Parts: sequence; structure tokens; C-alpha cells
Amino acid sequence: MKLLQEFSEILRYRELLRNLIERDIKKRYKRSALGFLWVMLDPLLMMLIFYIVFAGLFGKAVGNYTAYVITGIIMWQLFAQGTKVSSTAFIQNRNLISKIQLPTAIFPIAMVGSSFAHFIFSLIPLFIIILFSGTIPSYYLPLLPVAIALIVIFSMGISLTISTLTVFFHDVVYIYDVLLIGWMYLSAIFYPVSILPQKFQMLMSLNPLYHYISLFRACIYDTTLPIAEHLMFGTAFAVVSFAMGWTIYHRNRDKIIFYV
Amino acid sequence: MDYLSSEPGQDHLLCLAGEAIEGNEISVIHLQDISVRYRLIRERRRTFQAHVINYLKGKRIAAESLWALKQIYLEIPKGESLGIIGHNGAGKSTLLKVVSGVIKPAEGEVHVEGRIAPLIELGAGFDPELTGRENIYLNAAILGFSRKEINSKFDRVVEFSELAEFVDSPLKNYSSGMVSRLAFSVAIEVDPDILIIDEVLAVGDVVFKKKSKERIMQFSQKGTTILFVSHNMDEIRTLCTKVLWLDQGIEKMMGKPEAVIPAYEAYHAV
Repeated sequence: MKLLQEFSEILRYRELLRNLIERDIKKRYKRSALGFLWVMLDPLLMMLIFYIVFAGLFGKAVGNYTAYVITGIIMWQLFAQGTKVSSTAFIQNRNLISKIQLPTAIFPIAMVGSSFAHFIFSLIPLFIIILFSGTIPSYYLPLLPVAIALIVIFSMGISLTISTLTVFFHDVVYIYDVLLIGWMYLSAIFYPVSILPQKFQMLMSLNPLYHYISLFRACIYDTTLPIAEHLMFGTAFAVVSFAMGWTIYHRNRDKIIFYV
Repeated sequence: MDYLSSEPGQDHLLCLAGEAIEGNEISVIHLQDISVRYRLIRERRRTFQAHVINYLKGKRIAAESLWALKQIYLEIPKGESLGIIGHNGAGKSTLLKVVSGVIKPAEGEVHVEGRIAPLIELGAGFDPELTGRENIYLNAAILGFSRKEINSKFDRVVEFSELAEFVDSPLKNYSSGMVSRLAFSVAIEVDPDILIIDEVLAVGDVVFKKKSKERIMQFSQKGTTILFVSHNMDEIRTLCTKVLWLDQGIEKMMGKPEAVIPAYEAYHAV
């Protein structure tokens, strides 16, 4: 019930949610000459780097390396950017939190929202690359919204967890930064899982991001992937993550104001 | 005949209802024995390391705390203007935060009815990188307005603030007086049932001060309940019908301004 109550509060403040997302995007690009174009250039440049460095190494094993890498990067960014920025969501908005009554969860959620907005725009370079590299789009494409919804829910859970913990222990910001780097290398963004030893391949199914990235690849171009399995794991991880994030946030909600 | 016999009862009911309206005793704010506790900063364990070490040592530091408010009882009828006075750290702002719902008290119950507009530290929701226009939208959204409402009020806000020519420059280029003017202009657009004012009249130049004071008086005449924190006794006298004097989180005195203010001034003159 409490969950529904707070969600309806956030819904009532959707104009604020929109404004927070807009502010995040505006501020990020306001000072740059290319401005919003960076949203699209960023994944392209990253892909270029990965391509130059790793195409020779993994290109053969993967097959369609360009599509493989760009889908991996875009999914990873959707998750990592949103949760990373939201680690300081409460602290950065302490001015507001300690003065005006608001559904506080709106701040980390807005950061995930901003990352989602970035993601929507990065679909443009993605589809340009898919088309120009002659890749045939997957017939699972209608499942794309489901795949996105799952990773967004998963991100929200992590984001609520990290942002709440940060209020009480600042170290979480740095720990999470390091964790993200490790996590990125473990998520099969630029290498195929097949290069890993057999026992590590098994462990990969415990990595939520591996499922979300694979799900995305299945929806975009790779129909050979076991989509049912990824959907199942993806849903389970999303539910667990969100339940965890919400519980941690909700238990500490009234204490946050005294610590930010 | 049947009809007639039922009349006395109805009369009685009507009479009761009439009394309730005339007496205007419906309180919009009701605080029942509120206590708020702050933890002291040196007690906070902000790092995992400190936390783990303390935990291993079996040191469960008994929370060193400070009662910012203790056993406050407050009943404010609709339309009353309550002034809150007291020294720094007396708990004035904490009390406002309890009423506006930002802080949940450790003990006691809070009942507040109606829409609250907090004029607490103007511009808390402003962002220096954004333009005046963008900040108006952001701040109005913080106060709970929908897009449509903001659009319809936008021109009035700009007009009241007298900042029309700067509305598209970033806020970091504004003077602090200009920022406060803009914030005040947005905040008064909330048509509140309860207006919470934390020493905001100290902003802007003389002309704007006068203008904002008049605006607050208008609210008061309209029947808006006002909570007002100030160190300026003249302002309290002109604006408030009742005064609460807080001292170290405890109610020292409550009553008419002409009774409480002299007592407060005498107490601190010693």
C-alpha cells in the first residue's frame, strides 16, 4: 500500500520529474558546442574505440562485431549512467529535500529517467549502424519495449539502493564507481562469452547485465540467442532489484533528511 | 402532523451547524505533543570503515542527540496568523518543517489540512545554470503545479518579479536580490490554505519588501492561515494575531503579540 501511495505521489509530481530530467540533460550539454549531438556521438565514439582495439581479437568469434559492440555499449550506458549519477541524487538535492515536502524517491528515479531519455536518442545512431552494416533486424523487435522496461526497473532498484546508502555512507559513491568498472568488463560488451572458460560461462548467468544486453541483442539483430532464458532471468533480477531498492529506501526514508 | 413533529430535531441540528461555522473553530493545524530529535554531527559514522570498526569493538554509541523540539502542542484555527519567535536554534525552523511535512517528529502527532506553500529559504529549488524562465518552471513544478497551471501563471510571475528583461539569462548572472524576487514571485502564486514564511521579508529592496508585505497581508485577509518566523518584532506585530515564543525547543510562552513580545524583549534585555 505504502508503495502505491508513494508512486501516486510521484505521479502527481510528474511535472517535477519531467523538469528534473530536462534539467539534467540541459545542464550536461549547455556548455558544449555540439550540445545534444553528444548523446548520439558518445556511443558511436566508444564503439569506434572498441572496434579499433578489439575487432581483430574478437571479430571472428562474434560475427557481426559492429552490431554486437554498439548494442552492448548502449545497454550498458542505459544502466551505468543512470545508477552512477543517482548515487548522489539525495545529497545533491539536499536543499530541496530538507525544505520542501516532496516524494524524495523522485530524485534517483529522475536520474534513471534521464538515462532513459539519453537511450532513446542513442537509438538513432544504433539503427543507422544496423542499416549501414547490412544487418537484418530481428523479428523479436516487438519485444524491445519489454527488454527496455526490464532494465529500467532493474536500474531503478539499484539506483534507490545506492542513493539511499550514500546518504549514510559516502564511501558508497567510490565503491560503486569501482564496482561499475569491474562490472562493465564482466558484462560481455566487447567480447563473446564463448572466449571464457566453461565454468565462467556458467557464472555469467548470474550477471543481470549479461541478460539485459543479450535480450537487447536478440531484439535488435541476433535471433540465435536463447531469448526465453534471458527474459526469465531478466524479469527475476528486475523484481529482486526493485524490491530490494524499495525496501532499503522506504525503511530509511524518514531518516534521510537528518543525514543529507 | 408527522412532518411537524420532526421539526424540533432538525432545528437543533441546524443550530449546531450554525454555531460551528460562526465560531470558526476548525483548526487547520493540530500538533499533539511534538518532539523532534536531531543527532549531533560528531556521532554520525559516515564511512563504512568507522562503522565496521565501531561495530567490531562492540561500541554501539548511544546516540548523542539534541531535542530540537520538545512536547510542543499547537492548535491553529483557520485564518489565524501565528508568529514564531525565539533565538537561533530555538526550533523555529524545525517547527515549520514539521508542519510542512519535511520532518517526521520522533514523538507526537501532526494533523495538517489544506495546501501548504512554503516560502522557506527562497530559491532552494533554483539552479544557477538555468535561465530565469527555466527556473520558474522548475520551481513551480517543485511546488506541485502542472504544466498547464504554470503556463497560465507565467506572465504574472514575471510581472510581479519585475524581471522581464532578464528572464532568459542564466540565474548565475542575477544579483541575490533578483533571485529572491523571482523566488518570492513564484511562491506566492500557489494559492495556499497555509502559508509558511521563514524570514523572507528580509529580501529585495525597500520597494519590493513593501510589495511582498502587502501581498502577504492580502493572503491573511483572504483567510489564509499563516505561520511566520521572524526576528523583526515590528513585522510580527503588524502581521500576527498570536505569537509563540520558543526557547531551546520548548514553548516558553504563547498568546497575543502585545503580551508575548514585551516579555520576550524583557527576557533578552537582561
